[in-house]
Amino acid sequence: MYGDLGNKLVQQAKRTQNLAHLPPYQTEIVRAVTREVRDLDKDVADLLEPFQGSFNPASDQATACTLLVNHLSMRRNKRCLLAYHRTRTDRLEELVWKGYDVVDLAGQQVGDGSGNHNGASGTGNNDSGTSSLSPQEEDYVRQYSDLLAAYKGQWTDIDLTGSLEPPRDLFIDVRVLKDAGEIQTEYGAITLTKNSQFYVRQGDVERLIAQGYLQKLS
Amino acid sequence: MDIDDILREVDPASYAIPEGTRDLQALTRAWVAERSSPELLNWPVDGLFERINERIKQQIEKIEDMTGDMDPKTNFALIVIQTELERYKFIVRSYLRARIAKIDKHTLHYLSTPTLRARLSETELAYATRHQALLHNHYLSSFLSSFPQTLQNLNDTAGNISMIDTPDLDTAVFLRLLKDTLVEGRGTDTDGGMNGRYGDIVILRWSDAKPLVDSARAEVI
Repeated sequence: MYGDLGNKLVQQAKRTQNLAHLPPYQTEIVRAVTREVRDLDKDVADLLEPFQGSFNPASDQATACTLLVNHLSMRRNKRCLLAYHRTRTDRLEELVWKGYDVVDLAGQQVGDGSGNHNGASGTGNNDSGTSSLSPQEEDYVRQYSDLLAAYKGQWTDIDLTGSLEPPRDLFIDVRVLKDAGEIQTEYGAITLTKNSQFYVRQGDVERLIAQGYLQKLS
Repeated sequence: MDIDDILREVDPASYAIPEGTRDLQALTRAWVAERSSPELLNWPVDGLFERINERIKQQIEKIEDMTGDMDPKTNFALIVIQTELERYKFIVRSYLRARIAKIDKHTLHYLSTPTLRARLSETELAYATRHQALLHNHYLSSFLSSFPQTLQNLNDTAGNISMIDTPDLDTAVFLRLLKDTLVEGRGTDTDGGMNGRYGDIVILRWSDAKPLVDSARAEVI
């Protein structure tokens, strides 16, 4: 039936909002919905053909009704597609703001999920089976990262992607969750080894907290 | 002393306060207003952010100068200055992020008319235009390009439904009055008005509150 597939996309989008990771891109459904729109458009054209542009809705109400339904279905499908893509791009933008390497991350998730550990990367690969992003989305993420970097470049002294929690203390206790190597601070270098604990300046380690290397202790 | 105290002390007419303090107050006020109002507010045009950037740079330099000193007294001052700087930077960051979030949400709306475009700063405008172009391209390459020509727009208004999403201007906001003034509000059944006094706190629809805020008779809290 018209719109069934569009509905599926919207449900997917709704589900995406509550998931921690991004589910794979539904290439098949997107393609099918697009096909439906094209078919409907063709139907409309076929229906209108005998009238040669002089169609009078009042004199042929049955055809007028079909046309209306077709038009509405097309618009609805378009809205579903837009909503689906927008939800995904919003999510991707959020990840870019948080400073994750989105393309890598997406490849990893699918690899872990299907037990496929052969390290095949989804980067620049047209096969949607290896990455939960469509090639277009990967492009989009790359371009958005550039855009964000350009905007951030205007505010050199302020780290726009930093924490949105108001800072309370200059120094905080952190525990190291993963080995992060040596970092340079103005009080000298510290080597971050797993399970050790440090009292450091928040500004120095903010990035590492966001990336999950360190945990802030309150 | 919390933000409320700081804001209460601000009398826009008073120039006895040093410029630096006034800028901080202006920034704090802009930040609070931006976070509480449903639509994007005007970008401050009087060079506020140029001055703020200049000050942040100065403080960073000062900190760098002081770091070399091992005297415990400077060390303490250093910590105070650094903490203050972090907080200052946080307000700027939070302000800019709040604006970007609004711009991202209703990009086409803010790009649609010159009056709305004027609210954005130059960099924000560049960001918004580019972001919208990116999104449109993404839609085009994902599915729109195979659509019939007539359906490829993103700003259709056919069928009485506009595709351009606009912010809800009727959301309620809290206001503090800065002057005695008449407060008028539209209700569901009847419109109401009251004589507000300085310091009164009222809750109003944003569409009713905007004129009061624009003419500096009230501030959003």
